[in-house]
Amino acid sequence: MTGLRPVALITGASSGIGAALARIFAEKGHDPVLVARREAALNAVADEIAASGRSRPLVIPIDLTRIDTPVRIGHELGARGLEPAFVVNNAGYGLLGRATELDRTEQLAMIDLNVRALTDLSLRFIDNLARHRGGILNVASVAGFFPGPGMALYHATKAYVLSFSESLHQELAPLGIRVSALCPGPVPTGFHARAGINDATLPRLLTCSAEAVAREGYEGLMRGKRVVIPGRTNRLMRLMLHAAPRQTLLSVFDAAMKSRRAPQPPWPKRT
Amino acid sequence: MAALSPVVLITGASSGIGAALARRFAAQGHDLVLVALPEPQLAALAEEIAATGRNRPLVVPIDLTGINATGRLAQILAAHGVEPEIIVNSAGFGLFGPAAELDRNEQLAMIDLNVRVLTDLSLRFIDSLARHRGGVLSVASLSSFVPVPSMAVYGATKAYVISLCEALHRELAPKGVRMTALCPGNVQTGFQLRAGIDGGRVRGFAFSSPEEVARQGYDGFMRGKRVVIPGFGNKMIRLAMRVLPRALFLPIIASHLRRVRRLPPVRPAPAPAVAAPAESLP
Repeated sequence: MTGLRPVALITGASSGIGAALARIFAEKGHDPVLVARREAALNAVADEIAASGRSRPLVIPIDLTRIDTPVRIGHELGARGLEPAFVVNNAGYGLLGRATELDRTEQLAMIDLNVRALTDLSLRFIDNLARHRGGILNVASVAGFFPGPGMALYHATKAYVLSFSESLHQELAPLGIRVSALCPGPVPTGFHARAGINDATLPRLLTCSAEAVAREGYEGLMRGKRVVIPGRTNRLMRLMLHAAPRQTLLSVFDAAMKSRRAPQPPWPKRT
Repeated sequence: MAALSPVVLITGASSGIGAALARRFAAQGHDLVLVALPEPQLAALAEEIAATGRNRPLVVPIDLTGINATGRLAQILAAHGVEPEIIVNSAGFGLFGPAAELDRNEQLAMIDLNVRVLTDLSLRFIDSLARHRGGVLSVASLSSFVPVPSMAVYGATKAYVISLCEALHRELAPKGVRMTALCPGNVQTGFQLRAGIDGGRVRGFAFSSPEEVARQGYDGFMRGKRVVIPGFGNKMIRLAMRVLPRALFLPIIASHLRRVRRLPPVRPAPAPAVAAPAESLP
């Protein structure tokens, strides 16, 4: 029961915002546990954290789109005498293109990861989180605030994450568990390559570094904020989106997405 | 290829809004395929529609969250020489109570049905929908527009549905495929029983009947509307959700829902692993 050592479980920790979050949690004195598919990349992040003088994080290379993965993560932690004080659901991907033209199986796997695994991991460790008065940081996106023609499923999964996290924030407050939805705008990471987006077309004003996003996310979670939108321009955009008529918004977004296709989809197929 | 006859595929058709939509589509002269868990109401509804002089709907009793259930559904349609002109995504359920207290696996099954199956069916038949210039009518909810503490996963699945439908409305318009999200508020159906809500206490000024919701859903869909919110009261609630800041609105919803009494959720009888053989299956 007690005697388990508290850790910060971070999914999608092998690169981008997830790796940056792992570094921040380590820097602030938490013990991160790194979860992602790519073992070599995970180990690189773990080595880097160890090199900064912290203890080397536990690495769990596993595919979160498999429905038994959250159970297995639980077993893995339990076997090592660990329990989550924090869960950081960062693993997720997007795909650019018309939903009817993209591979259906790959889009449904996006639901399994961005929605199902995130929900499972958010709810699985409630007792542990409460014991340590810890929290859940769910990486949503500004995409959660409005529908996205040309990235329809991705936006919808992020709308889910935002709504779910906001409800949980309210529900879990009495248990002393913090819940924040982190909603970054464009961040130069492997995300765009995976999605098939040409990085050069990103709106520069809205772009933040993964480190800045991770720092604001960490601080927002610790302060008990419900929604964290890193970057002043993104916060302003959020306000404008709220006020804009939906029809206009959909047209503008549709046009913007069409111009953003990468020359070739550069990511290897999932196996 | 072109010899396949067009049908309206309706999921969750055995009761509530799904059944009301089935009656509506039948009354307007469409041929139907009714999909739902194996329950006696499904065949009864098919008989009822046949008795009005329409073609008897094809009945497919199947658990849509089963492995490759949507693929099997497609095979069943093909075997009957029919193809969807319209998909009505009505299957879905909610659970009432703190997410941390509700059964986790049941909440994940809710995602599989409300989100995954709905998406799969919306995309799977796009060619035949385009061929018949039909579309997809998905039942979302007023809960699509704001988070719903004590129905956290349900509210989030419906936020997913409306975001998806609005984006697809735009993406598919050039193909002549309609895409509508129907967002009812309080409707007295089996929904409350399943969710564990004391239905007697939820009637409010924004209450509407399944028939009224189905009528407005059908009309809105046929006119190519993106979002249909049935009832004046519900439209006002939607407006309030837009205007009020969330920090204010969330506690209002939470306190409103605290007054709703929780009952044990009524689970459907366990469905067989594969579709039960129905008289209408090949």
